Amino acid sequence: MPFTRINSKMVEARIVPGQRVFSQRGAMLAYRGEVSFTPNITSGQGGVMSMIGRRLANEAAPLMTVEGDGSVMFGHGGHHIHAVDLSGETLYVEADRLLAFDGALRQGTMFMGSQGGVMGVIRGQATGQGLFTTTLQGKGSVAVMAHGGVVELPITPRRPVHVDPQAYVAHRGEVRNKLTTALGWREMVGRGSGEGFQLELSGQGTVYVQASEEKL
Amino acid sequence: MANFRLHGSRVLAVDLDGDAVKAKKGAMVAYDGDMTFKKMTGGGEGLRGLVTRRITGEAMAVMEVKGQGTCYFADRATEITLVRLTGDKLYVEASNLLVTEPALRTGTSFTGLRGASQGNGLFTTTVEGSGQAAIMSDGPAITLRVSGAYPLTVDPGAYIAHSGNLRQQLQSAVGWRTLMGEGSGESFQIRFEGEGLVYIQPSERTTVGGQL
Repeated sequence: MPFTRINSKMVEARIVPGQRVFSQRGAMLAYRGEVSFTPNITSGQGGVMSMIGRRLANEAAPLMTVEGDGSVMFGHGGHHIHAVDLSGETLYVEADRLLAFDGALRQGTMFMGSQGGVMGVIRGQATGQGLFTTTLQGKGSVAVMAHGGVVELPITPRRPVHVDPQAYVAHRGEVRNKLTTALGWREMVGRGSGEGFQLELSGQGTVYVQASEEKL
Repeated sequence: MANFRLHGSRVLAVDLDGDAVKAKKGAMVAYDGDMTFKKMTGGGEGLRGLVTRRITGEAMAVMEVKGQGTCYFADRATEITLVRLTGDKLYVEASNLLVTEPALRTGTSFTGLRGASQGNGLFTTTVEGSGQAAIMSDGPAITLRVSGAYPLTVDPGAYIAHSGNLRQQLQSAVGWRTLMGEGSGESFQIRFEGEGLVYIQPSERTTVGGQL
């Protein structure tokens, strides 16, 4: 069930009976056919335990379940939408950037501190993303929102990519992330270049970067 | 030799091979390879630049990006236009300048009354030399050619940059209607005459003239 791009700010999803799509609550723009929208109090898959997990991790963006037979158009806040097709890999994305995703994908939360220890914790704080991030795994499509369009940058073992934490959208693949600091005396005296913190992503995969330093 | 490539219309990729470019402070979104970022006080124009920029209010927060690899720049999802200069001079607002090659010199120049009407202050930034510069605009910029027989008049709020040998003057169409508060919103215009190019954006900054 891939998302069909209508323009840079709208996607259309085909809904067939027996398959669910999760989307951010209120992100439906229009639909055709017999489609029902049910608010999802557990913010996604799993039972009450998963909900508690997400609540604690502050990764509980309000979601709704879309079911039925027809097609639905999604869009939100005039943000640019980027569709990512997963074939077994894991996508790491912030819950509030998720517009819609295939119900077949397994949703989970990951503790940032588990990658990079203390630096991982600081990373979450410095980037304002919190300590947890949402993971989606399996085969299916995900529609991710970004401010001002997305560029995909490949990460290869020999070429790690550094990203401005504010411009980071999502990443996928076997990627380790680490917060690097380039703080020196210049930052301390208020003469910094504005690039004091960077996310270093290394391994094999892709990182999605938005053309802006604004959060959603 | 820095190589500028546009990734879509909002992200600029610059390939560096040990050389440096000047960029708007904080505009890096990603890079691969090794890069260092250093703030350049006074727009990288030395002590003289520091003083002039302080006095003129045309403050430009610039950083020097140096290294080996590819660096990606973007700023608030604005559209980016590449301008190639071959010895000529580009006049641009400091806030619209994203990246310049090291071979280009930047400075400040007096714009007169036009600046005040644009809400940009009385001074503007000039970029001189040979090389590429990336300018930003709110929405895709269009380039308009001005020649001897065809002068051009633009809205001060939509103006972003110009190059070539142009004379500019501020026109006002303030009449009794404006005074009554029934103005058309187009009471001030800048008229360009001569030979050159003018870059405008499909959006208007809030200006003093735009309110009237």
